[in-house]
Amino acid sequence: MLKIYQRLWQVTWAEQWQYRANTLMYLLYWLVSPVVYLSVWTTIARSQGSVSGLTANDFVIYYMTLLIIDQLTSDITIYNFASKVQDGTLSNDLIRPIHPMLTTTLVNNMAFKVLTLLALLPVWGVLWFLFQPDFTGVTWQGILLVIPAVVLGFLINFLLNAALTCVAFWTTRIWALHEFFMALGTLFSGQFVPLTLMPPLIQSIARFLPFQLTKYFLIELILGRLSPSDIVQGYLMGVFWLVVSLLLFRWAWRNGVKKFSAVGA
Amino acid sequence: MPQSAAITVEKLSKTYQVSEREGGFSAAVRSFFKRTYRDVRAVDTVSFQIEPSEVVGFLGPNGAGKTTTLKMLSGLLHPTGGQARVLGYTPWELKREYLSSMTLVMGQRNRLSWDIPAADSFLLNQAIYRLPDADFKRTLAELDELLDLKEIIKKPVRNLSLGERMKCELAAGLLHRPKVLFLDEPTIGLDITAQVRIREFLKEYNRRSGATILLTSHYMADVTALCERVIIIHQGKLKYDGGLNDLARKIAPFKLIGVRLGDSAAHDLSRYGKPAQADEESEMSFIEVRADQVTLVTARLLADLPVHDITITDPPIESVIEQAFNG
Amino acid sequence: MKNTLCLIKVFLQVNLQMSLAYRADTVINLLLNLMWLGWELLSLSIIFSNTKTLGGWGVGELITLLGVFRLVNTLMAALLWPATEKFNASVRDGSMDYTLLQPANSLFLVTFARITVWRIWDLVLAVILVVAGTFMSGAGTSPLSLLYFVVLTLSGVLIIYSLWVVLIALTFWFTKFDNNVTILAALLDAGRYPSTVYPAWLRIIVTFVVPIALATTVPVQALRGELGGQQVLIFLAVSAASLLVASQVWKYGIRQYSGASS
Repeated sequence: MLKIYQRLWQVTWAEQWQYRANTLMYLLYWLVSPVVYLSVWTTIARSQGSVSGLTANDFVIYYMTLLIIDQLTSDITIYNFASKVQDGTLSNDLIRPIHPMLTTTLVNNMAFKVLTLLALLPVWGVLWFLFQPDFTGVTWQGILLVIPAVVLGFLINFLLNAALTCVAFWTTRIWALHEFFMALGTLFSGQFVPLTLMPPLIQSIARFLPFQLTKYFLIELILGRLSPSDIVQGYLMGVFWLVVSLLLFRWAWRNGVKKFSAVGA
Repeated sequence: MPQSAAITVEKLSKTYQVSEREGGFSAAVRSFFKRTYRDVRAVDTVSFQIEPSEVVGFLGPNGAGKTTTLKMLSGLLHPTGGQARVLGYTPWELKREYLSSMTLVMGQRNRLSWDIPAADSFLLNQAIYRLPDADFKRTLAELDELLDLKEIIKKPVRNLSLGERMKCELAAGLLHRPKVLFLDEPTIGLDITAQVRIREFLKEYNRRSGATILLTSHYMADVTALCERVIIIHQGKLKYDGGLNDLARKIAPFKLIGVRLGDSAAHDLSRYGKPAQADEESEMSFIEVRADQVTLVTARLLADLPVHDITITDPPIESVIEQAFNG
Repeated sequence: MKNTLCLIKVFLQVNLQMSLAYRADTVINLLLNLMWLGWELLSLSIIFSNTKTLGGWGVGELITLLGVFRLVNTLMAALLWPATEKFNASVRDGSMDYTLLQPANSLFLVTFARITVWRIWDLVLAVILVVAGTFMSGAGTSPLSLLYFVVLTLSGVLIIYSLWVVLIALTFWFTKFDNNVTILAALLDAGRYPSTVYPAWLRIIVTFVVPIALATTVPVQALRGELGGQQVLIFLAVSAASLLVASQVWKYGIRQYSGASS
């Protein structure tokens, strides 16, 4: 089994490397919005000292951490997979004795991640130089604690997106659904602003949704802003959503493939 | 008053500069700093004249310069030398009057948008070519009569078969009733029925409208069905300009006989004619035989050898031309 | 001119039929669009629940800015992005040849190749935002600054359009340049907020390199009465010049295309 992943890695890495120019451009999209919000909030924080207790530096380190966390937990399953379902080429994958999503697509995700992170590093260095952030709140314990949480966050994101992609077995309107899911994500994950600045209602909804587990929770964890009970609560929530997303994905995959082969596409 | 020629080409030439590069990384780096160029003469001082309402086949092996010539005549390419007049215009000036009176249809390229029905693309063309409603409807009705378009132009183009799509492509190119048609491989990839259909259409269209047609094709049948006159170019140079019948007699007065033999013993077919390339898939061996001796040779083959299968075909147009100019 | 309008009409007609054929998708897209607008307004309300001004700008002015931003955004989403997609495909598969052989301005044909018609609704929303924002900021909007605002928005849009033309024309030289407009698309987001709050380097980028701010921040600055007639004239001249440059680049691009392709 490991051998399969190793081989897959070699192939997908080579593939992704072919698309490196595209990847770089893709990164531009990811970059601009956090930098814009960073600028907006630091301007406000500077003009009045702080915003709800957050200083300008707090915003700088929040959005700079967001850039990396975003890459670590990002998922490109739908871009990879939906077209295969729609044009029927998935048949080629289905007749192979490995699970297409849990092998090829997963490894593809990883290869993309490594490539974008490599490209992000120099950019991040430039941002460091430009914004002069103060990361003294970050501790080794924080970093060690965040690693399993990042894995958890990525797995949840991957499985949820995989389940969502399976909807392509039933409808062609998969991209609208994807956009809707993304819109929910930007609202509840802490992508716009640190969730503490959101209206209380949204904050309390966000706490129970999986989105903040892929961004806000991880950022706060690494920046050392969470109490032990917050951390435990976050991890419990993570395990809960991992189980839910796993079940969702299993259900969607099984029924989707059944539907797919019934049509004989 | 003598009618002037529809197309006049005088010493038309096109030279491309091709950057040369060897494979490998270091070569790539070197070429980044210092490119070496090589001149390729795609079309080399070609001259000919085509009269109004003539249908002329434009032949030559791949890379002979056919498409380049068509592109220059339609105005897409600037020549590096020589002159051309089509309907009195210099094509590459891209005058609107000129563009409105000619068309270029390329079998391998799509003019129509994939996502919308051809009928909608036709409407766009009507606007672009400024066709009055009445004319547009009349032309469309006529094209429908010839090509049976009614149903297929309502479907999005992506759902059409290759043959149906080619019909629509042709129709789209003809809506403005061009006086000159440049057709580059209009039947490529189509099945035999569709090829025949397109051929018949072009013939009828030419008869009705009196349009001048210059077409390239890999299918000898296209040429024999449509053109009385052919122009052959090879390596950019004009090699033949004249009647089709003369060409066959002069250059390729032979047919190909293919046989599949029952035993694997090595029979010497060269006794019967000049051996040509064998087709490994069907296990057929071919020989070239002069046209007037085909019956004789066939009879001898059948009598002498354990023949399982036999075919008699025209030599492919490529090999006719190869034979004429290389052999 | 009459013919151009007629052409645009047919282009719209055909594209309208297309969106009618995909009615459900159109409705879904509309709803999603409204949802994003809600998010944008929410983030504005979060900002202004924490502060009274953003870099000296009030909430009304930011709503106007959001309106102008969405105007530019709509232009991109309804016209330029679909056109880019089609253009890149047509250079790749060679059907660009046909576009060049049609008796109409090729740049015009490329620009209006495909129109996402339902986005007209977005234009209406944008105008509503602009009007509402202007009323909210209340005093200080003279008829003259309104005129400046309209003129500057138009000239800003033209400048961005010119940049787009240059970017896609580059494809004529580098045929495999599918990412030609990414830089424009990526930086567009920066138009949502006044460029004056950005750090200097980002402000320079969105003003001079990818001049999103010229179509978003600058017109609203005029509305705030920060710009005089002389500056407005300069912007007008710049937009005329950039349009001229763009059409020349396009012309050279076409010449390059017909000189090199085989």
